[in-house]
Amino acid sequence: MADESMHITIGHLYPDLLNLYGDRGNTIALTRRCEWRGIDARVVDLGAGQDTDFEDIDLFFIGGGQDFDQRTLLADLGVGVAGSKATRLQQAIERDVPVLAICGGYQILGEYYVDHEGHESAYIGALPMYTEAGDTRLIGNIVFRADAIEGAPSIVGFENHAGRTHLREGAQALGTVVKGYGNNGEDGTEGLRYRNVIATYSHGPLLPKNPCVADALIELALQRRYPGTKLQPLDDALEEAAHDTMERRLIS
Amino acid sequence: MGVRTVCAALVCKATYHALRLLGRGGTSLPGKLALKIDPEYLHQLSRGVRTIVITGTNGKTTSTHIVAQALENMGEQAFYNRSGANLIQGITTEFAIRSSITGKPRYKLAAIECDEGALCRVCKQLDPDVLVVTNVFRDQLDRYGEVTHTLENIMAGVTNSPHATLCLNADDSMVASIAGKADNDVMFYGVSCEIYPERVADLSDATHCILCGTEYAYGYVTFAHLGGFRCPACGYARPAPFVAVERIVERHSDSCVLEMSVDGVSSIVPVDVPASYDIYNCACVVAGLLAFGFTKERAFEALGKFKHGFGRSEVLDVNGTKVRLMLMKNPAGCNQIINLLLNETDEDMGLVCILNDQECDGTDVSWIYDAGWEAICAHKDAAICSGERAEDMALRLKYAGMPDSGIRIVHDYGKLIEELGRMDHAVTVVANYSAMLGFRAKAASVLGLAGFWEG
Repeated sequence: MADESMHITIGHLYPDLLNLYGDRGNTIALTRRCEWRGIDARVVDLGAGQDTDFEDIDLFFIGGGQDFDQRTLLADLGVGVAGSKATRLQQAIERDVPVLAICGGYQILGEYYVDHEGHESAYIGALPMYTEAGDTRLIGNIVFRADAIEGAPSIVGFENHAGRTHLREGAQALGTVVKGYGNNGEDGTEGLRYRNVIATYSHGPLLPKNPCVADALIELALQRRYPGTKLQPLDDALEEAAHDTMERRLIS
Repeated sequence: MGVRTVCAALVCKATYHALRLLGRGGTSLPGKLALKIDPEYLHQLSRGVRTIVITGTNGKTTSTHIVAQALENMGEQAFYNRSGANLIQGITTEFAIRSSITGKPRYKLAAIECDEGALCRVCKQLDPDVLVVTNVFRDQLDRYGEVTHTLENIMAGVTNSPHATLCLNADDSMVASIAGKADNDVMFYGVSCEIYPERVADLSDATHCILCGTEYAYGYVTFAHLGGFRCPACGYARPAPFVAVERIVERHSDSCVLEMSVDGVSSIVPVDVPASYDIYNCACVVAGLLAFGFTKERAFEALGKFKHGFGRSEVLDVNGTKVRLMLMKNPAGCNQIINLLLNETDEDMGLVCILNDQECDGTDVSWIYDAGWEAICAHKDAAICSGERAEDMALRLKYAGMPDSGIRIVHDYGKLIEELGRMDHAVTVVANYSAMLGFRAKAASVLGLAGFWEG
């Protein structure tokens, strides 16, 4: 199928509440990489208080945010309420709709979160993992091998999280930490892959410098509408330069 | 005067002068050593000195410069941390070199720019007379944690400043909220009108009410989350400012004329900064000087004759090319530089972006995606990128819409300066802190500029 006729809709969940650390670099990367291939990509903001239909969304993005904002957000999600946003998002995930979830957005998709005072908040429960607040923040550049993405590419990013995420038995990590902390700073896992959900602590603009992840998500989104679609490669010289420069610096 | 204090003074002064002899501009090491010897050293040095401390994410350096120049112009015996070293070590050095060996100050007044993270300790020692808070934006989140954490840092400084009059930005819902949590006298300042005819769409760091969590409504926005905010649920709203910019009367490329009011009485004030984010600094300086005991006439006067400092619209002559240096630190500040470029008329203006990721810059450069480079790339199709993260900067411009072919990477500052000298149009260099330092130092060695620490 010719790329020109294709279109996808990207749903940016809570851009008003979860927008720390250059998260929007990811929606920019998704739309640009579609645009450069002649694919029509539209970003729909799915903010708090807006009751938008999730049926038309081909790809969800959910970023990181502050603790304060996450409380506002939980009320809007309606965890455990039939027909709520939380339920509809979980259903979309079970229908294999691709999702990129980062940092706070990753945690929210899990089962629950225990804060510093030991208070437990129920989260969406779409992913087989839970998060507990740690005493220190895990901050710094990260390199990990994304075993759960085709070709097991090396991913370069930056993490900054107090939460320690633990995967349930049988859950598939997104990758293995080469340099940095990852899910909890202990077990060497980073992120989680569940169906077409790619969840990671590599925050902010993950996709510009790791275009293979961007393309994997776009391809999954397209294949739901246009089965069998394969993306045309782009000239990624600058992307690779940015990726390789940091990888070299961190691993050497 | 204790032996410890004298030892601290000796070490501090000796280290300071040794560094200068070596031709280095380091300002933090002498103070660091002195504080190791006498942890109360800064407190000793600041006894008998009335201080105005200026903190907040953006604008503190410029505001401190204007206040200091105002004090100087009025013939006051005053000093400020002109090197821009704004942690406790650097501030200690600044006090030490202006005191006798026994800790007796040679100046009566001090204007001190202070980092938000250092504010708690610095205020504890200085016990300031005036504490000015400019704004709170996302900035170096790898160092400070999240935005609300920065506000907590500032609050800790306020708690340690029991005698200070607080000058708070009424337009910043986070900063203004400090008033409700402190017993201090408070003077609000603000900008009561929009600033830019054309403006990039900022991300807001404070969309929801800090008191009750409801989304704010805005009467107007100056930029980012600043403006006439009001919470429809609990009624928390922008307090009426005592000092306000009411209207921009005239706009020029490097100056403007403002209508400013103090306690409801309006004046027409020509100021030496363009009609940009800098007018917040004007309002905050007037409030600071009033709280410090000066008249509004003296404060207004200061705004009309202000020279820009380190990397803040400084202009260099590089073999005949006019090169303007602009310091970018975070998305809000960067967007204001972009707004300034958008509202200028020089279409041939070249663009150089230098991005580093040292500790002092923030090791996380993700924030460049929060700044609205798209607006620039709609007008410009070429740029040179440099610095430790040149490739990331280049990639940001590519994703902002600049064609690959227009983006070049030049790592070597010497080569970059050579290229600038060959250009037939003016250039704006946008760089973050250590990048600006490095670029300026290289330019100084090639072109013979004074070292930055000499101001």
